[in-house]
Amino acid sequence: MLIGIDVGGTFTDGVLFRDGQIVKSVKKATQEDNLKNSLLQVLDELLLAQDKEQIQRIVLSTTLVTNLLATGRGEKTALVMLPGYGLPHDSYELSGDIYFMKGAVDFRGREIEPLDKGEITELLNWIKDTGVKRIALAAKFANRNNVHEQMLKKRIMEECEGVHVSISSEISGKLNFPRRAATTYFTAMTISEWNRFVDQIEEALKLRGIKAEVQVLKADGGTMPLAASRTKPCETAFSGPAASTMGGSALTRDKLNSVVVDVGGTTTDLSLIISGEPLYASKGAVIEKQLTHVNSFAVRSIPLGGDSVITAQGVQPYRLGPAACFGGEKATVTDAFNIHLNLNLGNVAQSESQLKAIAEELQMDTPSLSARIVEEVSQKLLAEVNDMFRQWENEPAYKVWEVIHQRKFALDRVIGIGAAAPALVPALAALMQVESFVHEYSPVANALGAAVVRPTLSVMLHVDTQSKKYTLDPGGISGTLEKARNFQLDHARAMARQHLHIVGKELGMEDYTDDADFFLEEQFNMIRGWDRTGKLFEVGIQVAPGFIKEYEGVKI
Amino acid sequence: MKPTGILFFPAFDWAISPTHPEREERLLYTRDQIFEEGIMDLPQIREYKPGLASLKDIARVHFCVPNVEAQITEAHLVSAGSALVMADAVMQGEVRNGFAIIRPPGHHAMTVAHGNRGFCNINNEAIMVEYLRQKYGLKRIAIVDTDVHHGDGTQEIFYHDPEVLFISFHQDGRTLYPGSGFMEEAGGPLAYGTTINIPLLPRTTDTGIHYVLDHLVMPILEEFKPDIIINSAGQDNHYSDPLANMAFSAQGYARLNETLAPDIAVLEGGYSVESALPYINMGIIMAMAGIDYSNLREPDYKPGRLKEPASNMERIYKIVDTQLNTFRRREEVIEKNRRSGQMFKTSHESIFYDTDYISESQRNELRLCPSCGGFRIINSSARHPNGREYNIACIQLPIYACPGCQEQARDAYTTMNSSDIYDLVYLQDRVKDEYRSTDTRSGEERIL
Repeated sequence: MLIGIDVGGTFTDGVLFRDGQIVKSVKKATQEDNLKNSLLQVLDELLLAQDKEQIQRIVLSTTLVTNLLATGRGEKTALVMLPGYGLPHDSYELSGDIYFMKGAVDFRGREIEPLDKGEITELLNWIKDTGVKRIALAAKFANRNNVHEQMLKKRIMEECEGVHVSISSEISGKLNFPRRAATTYFTAMTISEWNRFVDQIEEALKLRGIKAEVQVLKADGGTMPLAASRTKPCETAFSGPAASTMGGSALTRDKLNSVVVDVGGTTTDLSLIISGEPLYASKGAVIEKQLTHVNSFAVRSIPLGGDSVITAQGVQPYRLGPAACFGGEKATVTDAFNIHLNLNLGNVAQSESQLKAIAEELQMDTPSLSARIVEEVSQKLLAEVNDMFRQWENEPAYKVWEVIHQRKFALDRVIGIGAAAPALVPALAALMQVESFVHEYSPVANALGAAVVRPTLSVMLHVDTQSKKYTLDPGGISGTLEKARNFQLDHARAMARQHLHIVGKELGMEDYTDDADFFLEEQFNMIRGWDRTGKLFEVGIQVAPGFIKEYEGVKI
Repeated sequence: MKPTGILFFPAFDWAISPTHPEREERLLYTRDQIFEEGIMDLPQIREYKPGLASLKDIARVHFCVPNVEAQITEAHLVSAGSALVMADAVMQGEVRNGFAIIRPPGHHAMTVAHGNRGFCNINNEAIMVEYLRQKYGLKRIAIVDTDVHHGDGTQEIFYHDPEVLFISFHQDGRTLYPGSGFMEEAGGPLAYGTTINIPLLPRTTDTGIHYVLDHLVMPILEEFKPDIIINSAGQDNHYSDPLANMAFSAQGYARLNETLAPDIAVLEGGYSVESALPYINMGIIMAMAGIDYSNLREPDYKPGRLKEPASNMERIYKIVDTQLNTFRRREEVIEKNRRSGQMFKTSHESIFYDTDYISESQRNELRLCPSCGGFRIINSSARHPNGREYNIACIQLPIYACPGCQEQARDAYTTMNSSDIYDLVYLQDRVKDEYRSTDTRSGEERIL
């Protein structure tokens, strides 16, 4: 038996999945100030009259980290940056006061400016004086050489008691210093609260006698063990939209080009599945208006949902309760679809009467008004979907091959997810002249997606055979090459794969590391004068988002 | 304020040969630097995707022998096409200015293209200029070539064009490839003074170049009043460049672009791939986007180390005087040439393609038209590396050609077509935006 729980902004959804079927599903309003309770309530209800021994795996998806940051409840954290030379310091708008220090390395990982001893002493005194307990440390090109980050971390840990330091090279090995700094900063701000949450969940499960493995859903549509999430809380941000996208994918399991339309009460989330693979945000997740190195799906959230209110001015970007047909007081988008498409949802008379009041105001009849609203909503969604395609087609390319083989997206299908999907999605698909897919499980596809997705893991290796150095991510690991002379791409591939197996084993995902594919393979000859003096390699290997081996699709 | 457009196309899968300066590695460290800086994420920057130039875009500028396809690789289409993407973004007001960091480069490629010269097959800036004229009706265009090598290709393409001002500063041709770019090269008889060469002595520093910029380049631009300013942005004036001997810094390049304020900058040469390019490219981007660049410098930069030799400055003062005079006398000289009584002005050139080892001989005839800049007929012959010898005739009709020139040029094409002196006869009709070529053996005509 598999359990998936998605703690969303408005609702918490949970499913119990067995033998290709959802045996039970639960939906509860989320208690914003107590996500743990929301989660456990749903879990307890799912477990009622079930044999706990039969539960193999529980996957959780939660908005905790996003909420903490959005509501300013992140822990007070000092951001220490070593930006070296380049952009002016005021380009980094991460926090009110950033502590800037000297010390720089270049793109080859060579030190071009040492740390300043006087400045280190000043920093240590400053930390003691301010009493700050969380430090996020980020140095430019620390992903190529983290000597400065390591040294500062060591000094702070030695001399400032009880201070926790997060360093950027351990958070991400990718280029982009401001994104790495932001990710490190948000990690430091949320790490203790996230750990408290993990403690509570572990304790609650123990109390319930559950011994199943517990995984947390990440923004990249894969899972990681609850314990492993302790050092990477930011990875859990935006797992909700990932759950929906993977849910859509779980229900279809083919290679078509789809747009997943997750229609909630207030908002609709759009994501793309291209030839069966969910599309990633090319610049990483945006958290608190900052681009980060959190790998996430390209999700577009539109303030337009099933419960969006209708006035004489048209569809409004807010919600004032459920649709009239479901006992609400205002005409909503769902009511308009209900009338226009004869959906027979809830109390149709209520839809009718609320819409009629507005229609009269506009001196038109109710069917015309409903038709107009349906058209307005469909056109809005269509415009957004088309814009997403265009953006994807216009992603920069850095190789001749990529430009010659222009990306062109032809949509095959709209996949509807969420409670209001059955009402809205078929009409949208008809307008787009593509297939519509709405499943009986669509309303809880997010929780289903969480329940059945497999772990993901991505490893990046950078090798410089001239300096005989390499760096590996995750972990901010660096070392010296033993056989730099004849090092070839195959060696780099093998090294990356080996690291993937090591990290995969630590994460208990050995079953999946054999399914890894290389997503990045770059090699450059370094020529100085007319001679080759070395080679540079950049290799990335990943276990991409997918489904656990036990999952063989749904049976209905 | 509108953002600055950046099109970064490092062509990581293209090289002239594995160890050639034009190799995959050239923009690798620039990629590392600009990506690590996160400059593409700033609101002041908008990144663009590369595009593809059409064969017609190329035929608008070049007579490719035997045809366009033979002279280009896909990389050239992308590089030139990317310059056009940047041009469109600027012209359509999406960005305030744009920088195409692209390769392969183009400024040594001349009108007739038999092969690769100075790492260039086709001329990205020239293709962009003719595109801007056709598509947006721009009249006056200024190209400032800031590469350390004389932009002889661009100069040759616009040598007879009075509407395109070409200013090139470079290391003196007596000490560096391609060995041209002297002050005497000031434009054809009907386009005198709109080719301005500034040959600088080796070891010229930021001081020297900024003097030239402030006292010569900017005053000329102010008087010429171009619709658009293009920086043919080579980066090999840098003190660390392995192929040249100048002494500019990244800060110097940034300030250059701040002063010049080009609408579009297009990368040309620059082969100090580790020590210079990452920092110069950052500097140009920052200057164009109005970002404070005072915190930018090369790791080995020592302020005050690079001093302008007094002899260099003496020479610069003279250049400034001479070339201001050349520019300001242009109308007078052109009028005199026009009234020379000759119908055509003939000249002979021999052109060497260093990369492909081709020797071309040319005979140029310019019509000394009483009412426009005149049209041009080029007879060119060269033996290609495959052993085949080509003898071709090219008729070039500029976009501003008067009805008289148009008629004569088109007639000349028809006449030459039916003779068997030439293997190929071309008509570049920019007035009609139509590009014809005829294989005289088979009689087959191709129209682009």
